[in-house]
Amino acid sequence: MKRKISSIGLNVFLLVLGLVTVYPFIWMLSSSFKQNKEIMALEQHLLPQQFIIENYINMNAHFNFIRFFGNSLLITLVTTVLVLYTSTICGFVLSKYKFKGRDLLFGFVLSTMMIPWCVTIIPKYSMIQAFGWMDSYAALIIPAAFSGFGIFMMKQHIASIPDEIIEAARIDGANEFYIFHKIIFPMAKNGISSIAIFQFLWAWEDYLWPYLVINSQEKQLLAVGLKMFNGQYSTDYGALFAATTISIIPVLIIYLFFQKRFIAGIAASAVKG
Amino acid sequence: MFKKSYPLQSKSEILLRNIVVAVMVVFFSVFLIAPIVIAFAGSFHEWNPLSGTYRFLGLENYKNVFTSQLFGTSMINTVIFSVVVIIFRVGLGLGIACAINSVLIKHKSFFRAVYYMPVVTPMVAVAFVWKFMYNPQIGVINQILGTSINWLKDPNLALPAVIVMTIWKDFGYAVVMYMAGLYSLPMDVMEAAKVDGASSWQNFRYITLPLLKPMTLFVVITSIISYIQAYVQILIMTEGGPGTATYLASYIIYDEAFVKYNFGYASALSFVLFVITAVFTWLSFRVSGTES
Amino acid sequence: MMKRRAAALTLAVSMAAGLWGCGGGGSASTAETAPEVEVPTEPFGDTIKYDPSVPINDGKDITVELWEWGSDELFQQIIDGYTAMHPNVTIKLVNNPWEDYWTKLPLALDGQNGPAIFNVHNSYHENMINYMAPLEIPLEDLEADFTGVEAHVIDGNVYYIDYGMMTGSVYYNKEMWEAAGLTDADIPKTWDEMREVAKKLTIRDGDRLIQAGLNFNDDFHQNYLLGLNYQLGENLFLEDGRTPNVTSDAMKQIMQMLVDMYQVDGIGSADFGEKSSDSFGQGQSAMVIQWGHYYNTLNTTWTDIDFGVFEIPTFDGEPYAYNRYNGESTFGINKNAPADQQAVAQDFVKYFLANDDAQIAFNLAMSTFPAKKSLADNPEIMANPSLSVLAEHIDHYIWPGPMPSTMETSLKKAGEDIFYNGVDIDTALNAAQQEIIRDMQSSTFTSVEDLYKYAQ
Repeated sequence: MKRKISSIGLNVFLLVLGLVTVYPFIWMLSSSFKQNKEIMALEQHLLPQQFIIENYINMNAHFNFIRFFGNSLLITLVTTVLVLYTSTICGFVLSKYKFKGRDLLFGFVLSTMMIPWCVTIIPKYSMIQAFGWMDSYAALIIPAAFSGFGIFMMKQHIASIPDEIIEAARIDGANEFYIFHKIIFPMAKNGISSIAIFQFLWAWEDYLWPYLVINSQEKQLLAVGLKMFNGQYSTDYGALFAATTISIIPVLIIYLFFQKRFIAGIAASAVKG
Repeated sequence: MFKKSYPLQSKSEILLRNIVVAVMVVFFSVFLIAPIVIAFAGSFHEWNPLSGTYRFLGLENYKNVFTSQLFGTSMINTVIFSVVVIIFRVGLGLGIACAINSVLIKHKSFFRAVYYMPVVTPMVAVAFVWKFMYNPQIGVINQILGTSINWLKDPNLALPAVIVMTIWKDFGYAVVMYMAGLYSLPMDVMEAAKVDGASSWQNFRYITLPLLKPMTLFVVITSIISYIQAYVQILIMTEGGPGTATYLASYIIYDEAFVKYNFGYASALSFVLFVITAVFTWLSFRVSGTES
Repeated sequence: MMKRRAAALTLAVSMAAGLWGCGGGGSASTAETAPEVEVPTEPFGDTIKYDPSVPINDGKDITVELWEWGSDELFQQIIDGYTAMHPNVTIKLVNNPWEDYWTKLPLALDGQNGPAIFNVHNSYHENMINYMAPLEIPLEDLEADFTGVEAHVIDGNVYYIDYGMMTGSVYYNKEMWEAAGLTDADIPKTWDEMREVAKKLTIRDGDRLIQAGLNFNDDFHQNYLLGLNYQLGENLFLEDGRTPNVTSDAMKQIMQMLVDMYQVDGIGSADFGEKSSDSFGQGQSAMVIQWGHYYNTLNTTWTDIDFGVFEIPTFDGEPYAYNRYNGESTFGINKNAPADQQAVAQDFVKYFLANDDAQIAFNLAMSTFPAKKSLADNPEIMANPSLSVLAEHIDHYIWPGPMPSTMETSLKKAGEDIFYNGVDIDTALNAAQQEIIRDMQSSTFTSVEDLYKYAQ
């Protein structure tokens, strides 16, 4: 009985909090179907009084939506997969191997995250220009191949995997490459899933860097296209909200997909237990 | 100390280590350290890469940082902003992750998706939505409270208003991270504790929480790093106003670099901020005691 | 910031309006239903003549890029007109997002990827000018056809000029005007009259404001502080052209007037209607002072508001200058582009300057008053009320030059300190003065207020 009450109480609490969380989101979604004068009207209604879809339709009038979308998906997936691999292997080395300079190296990795992008983006641009990578996807993919955030996350995560498992594999004669790929990588999947979620989000939303280095319209990314649209209508709230809604759908799908990985993770642990 | 103080290492271990460390060093040097070094050199110059200005100033930019009253007040705002948001982010994130994880909740994936929504929404759009919600005449917050407070123009309320918005936007990140941490907890330990008759509070306090410490450290440190650099919400919601009431240090950096094109001064500010961030990060490692 | 956003918005609006040589009747889908382009064969223009029969690039095929922000349809029209005369020329139009265009463009111009032709806004003058080639049109010809050219002369060269001038006027809600029992005869000429009218337009329910007579929230710096000083005979910069003059008695008087309007007259409130431009559109405020771009905003966003426009009031009817204006700039030519591309770019700019249809279309799209002298009384221009109210005194508007953005941001901070943070006027303006001096240390800006026609 007591359990039932606390169950209801907790559910209600989470539901109320959930409502507070989604309200601004629903407001934005609903506003994306409104004219600007209705979004700003003195009489506010949550639902559109005059339902319009122009905010969505106009998007395709100014750039090739499908093309930009495909480019974004490609770049985002490639960088995300790269980052997942590099983060996991660096995290493994930094957490399970002991060697001189390890903490220093990790300190370096962390400290690169502490300098605001405002002051490094233009030097980075000059370097990419010197490498001759302008207007190529190398400029988007290669500099993004390692992530301080990802390495830090995986270092923390892999540290919680007991050393005994690795030792046991070594005694069985497994070499380190085997241990990493066949033992550590699968065991770290919860950590990998959570970086995947964020790395995908960041790569998908990244706008200024692709805008600066990509010139050809055929190669341009969706985040840039949507911003182009916002820039023209800098106070066009309806268009901004429509563009935002469109752009977060793939991210939500990725999230729901990796959520399943989480659940698979629990199931596996439960079976083991 | 010339003697190798580490346990015996296999050939493949040394090989893997060397490859990974070498690639990391090269990559970070080229794509991250080199631009930082260029910016650091720029911090001693009057520097506008867009117009091509580059003139040696010595320490003047740094002198200006430390004598700037605005930088002082913005630093206080930055600390208040970061500390409050991080406390709520960690507290809410941990609490909600545990709640969702508890056996009392059935629709786990529903709640996870709900709390994650603000995280995936770009800050620019979110900041505009909240600006509407804070509007003194048509904002939903005043409608619910039955007031007509000018939240973003009141020097005492503007920063708290931005803080509330940031907590709303970001606590879902901590929820996701803690969920990953909770799912990775060794089940056998938890089961053993239950068999021993530990109450759920004891269970949480003495088993779950310590096991989540690496994750907490991770969330706190990434939060410190990102909040010390947060500026988009300020740019859209208050532009630092009213007056200079909501200036954050990072907003000054953005403003100096991309509005006033004083990249030299912006770089000097960045490196001062870097030292502060590094100190806080180091302190977090020390407090958590996991440095070794 | 205000000025920059405003310009972005205006361009945005111009697209939707789809104005090209017609009084606004065009539809948004002009791309498909564009009328046939008339190909001129005879030379046209005033002093600057464009001769379509002169072959470009010796008739050989050439492609150049043109970068602009936010008004691709407007630009496509002029490109189509040009390439119809010169089929061997292809002009590739690249649309950019407004804000970050100003980061990408100078970086690209510095390298090999820059466009031959690019749209310019004078608020980014310092970052652009080093990459621009001077116009080949003789200075005397430019001066003969356009006003305000001399302010753009740098060491005898002109890199860009204004095709239009934008400034502020009063927009009023006609329904509220009538409801308050006011007629056309009540249109105020002086600030005292303005305040009286505003009182009549204000509606209160006890202490609560229902309708503001006048609203200047969020843009008072742009529309009052940086302009009314001229009415009182004070420049924004001292004689050296470098030292800001924002602690002058004139500035204090204007600031005091703004404070009194809200706090003594009660014709509005700093907490009522957070942005004056939105508040007027929402039907919450009866009058606002806005720059020309607002005319387009009202016609596209706030279509329910029945509004009128009148000229900005003065203190005594005989101002030194009515207000500050800012120019919309002609296109820039990339000095690092290959010589053949630069030649096309030079020719393209000349075509733009000589072509009255293009001049009218750009000015209407931006709601700017034409700088081309022959168009000052053009009927299409005069049909736009935000431009016709300027016609009589247009030579009494003054341009200080491409002021650094700190002039606006520092005065905005000062005003907010006064309205919201309880700082007194002297302290706030002194702080603004110090901030502007500091921010301008690395700027090469020098005021051109001394080039004003009626400069003392």
